[in-house]
Amino acid sequence: MIELSGISKTYAKSAVKAVDGLSVTVKDGEIFGFLGPNGAGKTTTIKALTGVLKADEGSVRIDGVDLTAEPIAAKRRIGYVTDNPELFARLKAAEYLNFVADIYGVGDADRRERTARYAGLFGIKDALAASIGSFSHGMKQKLLVTASLLHDPANWILDEPMVGLDPKSAFNLKELMRERAAAGKTVFFSTHVMEVAEKLCDRLAIINRGKIVFIGALAELKALRGADGSLEKLFLELVDEGEGAQA
Amino acid sequence: MKVFLSLTGLYLKSFYNLPAKAAKGAKFDPKTALKTLGIGLLVLLVVGQMGFIFGASNMATYEALAPLGLQGIVLLNVAVIATVLTLAIGFLTALSTYFMNDMELQFLAMPIKPRELFAAKFAAIYLSEAAISVFFVATALVIFGIKEAPHPLFYIWGFKAALLLPLPALAISYLIQIPLMGFARFLKNKQAILLIGGVIGLVMALGFNIYYQTMLGRLQDPAWIAANMAGPDALLTKLGRSYPPAYLTWRALSAPASWDAVLSLLGLAAVCVAGPALVILGLSGRYAKSLVGFNESHIKKLGAGADAFLRAKLVKRPAFLSLVARELRMMNREPMYMLNGPFIIVLMPVILGIMVVVQRDAFLGDPDMAGLLAMMQGGAGAIVAALSGVFLGSATSITCTSLSRDAKALPYLKSLPISAGRYMLAKLVHGLAFAAFGSAMGVGLVAYALRLGLGDIAAAFGAALAMGALLNLGGLWLDTANPRLRWDNPIAAMKQNPNAVIAIFGAMGLAGGGGYLAFTTGMSTGAFALWFGLVPAAAFVALLLPYPRYAARRLAAIEV
Ligand SMILES: Nc1ncnc2c1ncn2[C@@H]1O[C@H](COP(=O)(O)OP(=O)(O)OP(=O)(O)O)[C@@H](O)[C@H]1O
Ligand SMILES: [Mg+2]
Repeated sequence: MIELSGISKTYAKSAVKAVDGLSVTVKDGEIFGFLGPNGAGKTTTIKALTGVLKADEGSVRIDGVDLTAEPIAAKRRIGYVTDNPELFARLKAAEYLNFVADIYGVGDADRRERTARYAGLFGIKDALAASIGSFSHGMKQKLLVTASLLHDPANWILDEPMVGLDPKSAFNLKELMRERAAAGKTVFFSTHVMEVAEKLCDRLAIINRGKIVFIGALAELKALRGADGSLEKLFLELVDEGEGAQA
Repeated sequence: MKVFLSLTGLYLKSFYNLPAKAAKGAKFDPKTALKTLGIGLLVLLVVGQMGFIFGASNMATYEALAPLGLQGIVLLNVAVIATVLTLAIGFLTALSTYFMNDMELQFLAMPIKPRELFAAKFAAIYLSEAAISVFFVATALVIFGIKEAPHPLFYIWGFKAALLLPLPALAISYLIQIPLMGFARFLKNKQAILLIGGVIGLVMALGFNIYYQTMLGRLQDPAWIAANMAGPDALLTKLGRSYPPAYLTWRALSAPASWDAVLSLLGLAAVCVAGPALVILGLSGRYAKSLVGFNESHIKKLGAGADAFLRAKLVKRPAFLSLVARELRMMNREPMYMLNGPFIIVLMPVILGIMVVVQRDAFLGDPDMAGLLAMMQGGAGAIVAALSGVFLGSATSITCTSLSRDAKALPYLKSLPISAGRYMLAKLVHGLAFAAFGSAMGVGLVAYALRLGLGDIAAAFGAALAMGALLNLGGLWLDTANPRLRWDNPIAAMKQNPNAVIAIFGAMGLAGGGGYLAFTTGMSTGAFALWFGLVPAAAFVALLLPYPRYAARRLAAIEV
């Protein structure tokens, strides 16, 4: 379970609030979609949620563990896929996976079995001996996904996970998300594609300029939509209203 | 031309991480202002130090030559050194910026002519070379000007020559590197070539240093000067024949208010501009081609062996060990980090070691040296050994750039369940391992050269370790307090990191100052062990205890 309450963040080098008093609760067994246009504050929220950024205000609880008070215990419950897979280019993929497994204290049998499963699923098992720098963007993305699942986290947090994945891999990833939610785990992911959210989420939030403009179940969102309009159009309208209110 | 100028500007910004204009509505941050001021002061200090070194060496040359009426040779010397200096520095800079990042591949896809692309890069690097050259030449001009009161044109010619001299040096660097990289493409192994090129550059820099030292030494010997500097077979004439730009500079500066000076300078301009022009005209295409595939590497497919591979490679280790191993790999596998960091421990002793081995008997056999040797074996040797150990142990820049080098991965690393303290201490352990290695090399080499006893060796090694540990921890504090987190080219995290400069100066200051005090006070072995062993060790502990909490606070505040 993920509980965000009243999160605000202003970057030191800017004057605008990237995230402004944001509260979200994601229950176990739920796939939660986090939508918004570029620069809306999705990544900032996710960074506050994973302990990468210190929020100015508000609190984060992961499975009831407070992130500020017990950061290590809280982070152990998270599997995180960053939006930027350009890291550790000089490490070999297997070295990277081994490093992550060591940090989370995953046993030998588990790390081998999970690596074989997820790397196999995404078709990068063959390339694990190569250095990450030689991977394509999508391959790096898949490696990050594999690494994020090595410790079988109760909360899976993904920042724009579909970007750069081919249709088959995107399908596999969605299946994995569904499988984990069905097993009672939490899945939280960001996207700016309404269609992805529509097909996958139990609940979703739409944010714009750091503030939530809609939060609720998919059905509630659908109820908002007029008889003819698509969700895509509704999304654009919601985001536009946000712009109008700010301007 | 517009493309060329904006590309040059872009390269300059990218090389030196020039601050962008503050965003509208940005907060005024007193800390940032303080930081800028601090860096400004540091730059002043470094420039001042360089100015002092340049000035002192030019002064020494002048004073050695003036009594013999050969002061004009100072000017030739200046031209030669400005060239060699910019050659050594320019070669390394050109290499480390040869391929910066994928941004350059995008340039290739844009309607930019290879000639514009290469010329822009050349120009961007040239500007920093020119700054160094002008600075060096200026110190000589000032000294010569005060002593000899030449015609005012002297300064103008000198300034122009200073701007011109780096041009052929940089052209030569590219003349070597572009075909080398083209060949590397064929070999599909650019990393190795980068490494080899880096070694060539470092050897050049060290060779320059050795040459320079010997020259300064020889200048003390009037007989040598008379034999080599004057007369028809003199060095001067030989140099004039072998390197025209230096000779032309000398001629222009020797008689500034003459037509000969004007003609010499015109000749100099022609010769100096010809190099870059030819390289840019002839090699731009090859340069652009050599950029392609720079990030290529060989992907090994596992196939049927994948499961066996996973069984062999995926083995649990303690988390801390894994952190240290990551530090080690990330540094040693990046050629530019390796060359400017840990490799120094091997390279310096190899070069100095060869000199020592070759000259040991001659050196120690010199009757003048007997007294010195006795002193060395009577305790002073331990100090020299310890200081050289300290220097090698802390010259790797491992800890003082460690957080900066991790900038790109920091968002991810901060999400991992490890405390900031443990994460940063892994960096310290990495630095300490190399400090121990460097200490062993430094102490061992001096001990061998001076034939020190076991007691001295043990004391020197202990002291080198204690001081090296302290310096590495100090470097870590520095980079934690003020990491360099925004960069395009990994080398920026290392070479253009003020922390690395401060750390090197700190190490030199401590080693030099400590050594000076130890010698002048005629320290006993006991006092030596106390001041160079126990005190740094105690300081190390005192700095280590509050560090994890500080690191946690700093890391939490970093916004990435
Ligand atoms: N490191 C930073 N320093 C200063 N401001 C930042 C930083 N990172 C993000 N911002 C600002 O915070 C706001 C929110 O950015 P954020 O990255 O959270 O958006 P996002 O919703 O993830 O967008 P995208 O869909 O493009 O990934 C933007 O206005 C952005 O300019
Ligand atoms: Mg984002």
